[in-house]
Amino acid sequence: MHELSIAKDMTTIIGKAIGGPRPLDRVNVTIGPLSGISAESLRFCFGEVARSEGFGEPELVITLVAARLVCLDCETEYNAKDFYDGCPSCGSINRNILSGREFTVDSVEFDEGNS
Amino acid sequence: MKDPRRDNKVDIATRVMSRNDSFAARNHELLRSNDILTLNIISSPGAGKTSLLEAMAGFFGPGLAVIEGDVRTRRDAERVEKAGCKAYQIETGGSCHLDAEAVGKALEHFDLTDGELSILAIENVGNLICPSGYDLGEDMKVGLLSTPEGDDKVLKYPSLFSRIAVLVINKTDLLPMLDFDVDRAVRECRSLNPNVVVFLMSARTGEGVEEFCRFLKGQAELEE
Ligand SMILES: Nc1nc2c(ncn2[C@@H]2O[C@H](COP(=O)(O)OP(=O)(O)OP(=O)(O)O)[C@@H](O)[C@H]2O)c(=O)[nH]1
Ligand SMILES: [Mg+2]
Ligand SMILES: [Zn+2]
Repeated sequence: MHELSIAKDMTTIIGKAIGGPRPLDRVNVTIGPLSGISAESLRFCFGEVARSEGFGEPELVITLVAARLVCLDCETEYNAKDFYDGCPSCGSINRNILSGREFTVDSVEFDEGNS
Repeated sequence: MKDPRRDNKVDIATRVMSRNDSFAARNHELLRSNDILTLNIISSPGAGKTSLLEAMAGFFGPGLAVIEGDVRTRRDAERVEKAGCKAYQIETGGSCHLDAEAVGKALEHFDLTDGELSILAIENVGNLICPSGYDLGEDMKVGLLSTPEGDDKVLKYPSLFSRIAVLVINKTDLLPMLDFDVDRAVRECRSLNPNVVVFLMSARTGEGVEEFCRFLKGQAELEE
């Protein structure tokens, strides 16, 4: 579990983008199934880190995107949240991974008056 | 210019791993410029990473250097040194993975320019999840899966097994006692990673070790 150090990297990125700590309402992030990041533990750690570093108690909004795969046998492109099922057209598990490693801080939101 | 503090939504669109990745790029550059092939060896605890490195030390001698990552103790570094190559231990002090910044500091303890060193192997902390997202500056990730762990682990840890260049299935000497299906593990690994190179190995009996070392030697020569 390394979500604590990850949460600190996130507040560093956010602080840099908005010019230092300030209370936030929401933090929007995207996580792919091949990022190795657990949404649950990230939520827990981020709450602790955000509060202790002066970012208030923002809601962490996590968008879990699917991985994009392409079947090597029939060329169908498909989405998957895990990797147990094969191609929806032909069932093959021969495939290339096109995406799924995403882990980004997308944006932050706060009240106008809340500065 | 608009003041971001006045907007109530600020777009950031930044990869969280970008800081680590810039340290990794620096390490990679340094190692490449010295013609050193770098491996990031990842497995669960006890799969046989250090045993493999001991066997590799027998093959490469001082042409191999090792960085050991463990939560605590210098034990693994001492084992590898005893087997005949240089080793530096990083004690992560609780962290479940190595990061590129720590590896960069460890590199200062080696003479990379002496021309003797052709392979640097980094033994990551035993863990199938956390190390997978942290590039260290390696040329390739080597995933070790040992037969007692079960043949179903590949698809359970896709973030690792989709990123490895080499899969080593270790402890093949135990296969007669287990229901581990080698074909299944290989098939599922290829389903995440069609180009993965596979070696079957017993670090205990030495089976497969030489074949693996010859492969690395070939890769290191390509690097020069
Ligand atoms: N039977 C058998 N045992 C092995 C083999 N390779 C390693 N072992 C044993 O497995 C145990 C763990 O091996 P290590 O090399 O310490 O494993 P490791 O992956 O470095 O472990 P950590 O660094 O603690 O994560 C030791 O008791 C080894 O002797 C093998 O091929 N066959
Ligand atoms: Mg070890
Ligand atoms: Zn198909």
